[in-house]
Amino acid sequence: MSTEKSFAKSLGSLDGVFDFLQQFVDKEAIAERHAFAMNLVVEELFTNMVKYSGGTDKQVVIRLDKGDQRVTLELTDFDSEPFDPESVSAVDVEAPIEERRPGGLGLHLVKTLVDDLRYEMDDRTLTVSVTKSLES
Amino acid sequence: MFEISQAEDGTILMRGRLDAAQVERAKGVFALVQSSCEVDFNELAYISSAGLGLLFATQKRLVDAGEALRLVNLNPHIREVFQIAGFDRVFEIS
Repeated sequence: MSTEKSFAKSLGSLDGVFDFLQQFVDKEAIAERHAFAMNLVVEELFTNMVKYSGGTDKQVVIRLDKGDQRVTLELTDFDSEPFDPESVSAVDVEAPIEERRPGGLGLHLVKTLVDDLRYEMDDRTLTVSVTKSLES
Repeated sequence: MFEISQAEDGTILMRGRLDAAQVERAKGVFALVQSSCEVDFNELAYISSAGLGLLFATQKRLVDAGEALRLVNLNPHIREVFQIAGFDRVFEIS
């Protein structure tokens, strides 16, 4: 099943985003630990769109698709600055606290929790698509 | 829903979901922490990088002063997030 919904590009939309996810999780009977990861992944991607390309009245569309033992989460921002995920520095999770710097954690969590992550930039439209296996 | 409070013994209690929209409410409480204390996650259901960033900044400030936060009662999902973030090396978690 596939479903989609538009949200204002604002942190104030997060409660609505989580409600939308919960309805999908309930309908598709997705296990709690996968649901937790889906919440986290969508929040990190959505808040990145708010933080780094906010200030417009364009909406973000979130599309959820459940396939055979996998779920695809797609977020589309129709007014985004160019974004290159490779430009984000990797987080050294092994470093001691004295050497660790804040930042970059959200994308690190996303990359770890999903099986596939794709970015597509077309003019000012940024689409981020992730696929997560529901098998393990 | 997110709530945060500090008990008389200094323990910080968090309830609900600490997401990017709620983290400002937590900042005020953590900004006042000057010495080692416990943070009880028993009733916290969810945390994202916004909350992790706040905890990390607080821990860094405290460690520089010879103090530290101790985190207790993390649910398995939140514990996994801390491990992915490498925060099991940054915090004492029990």
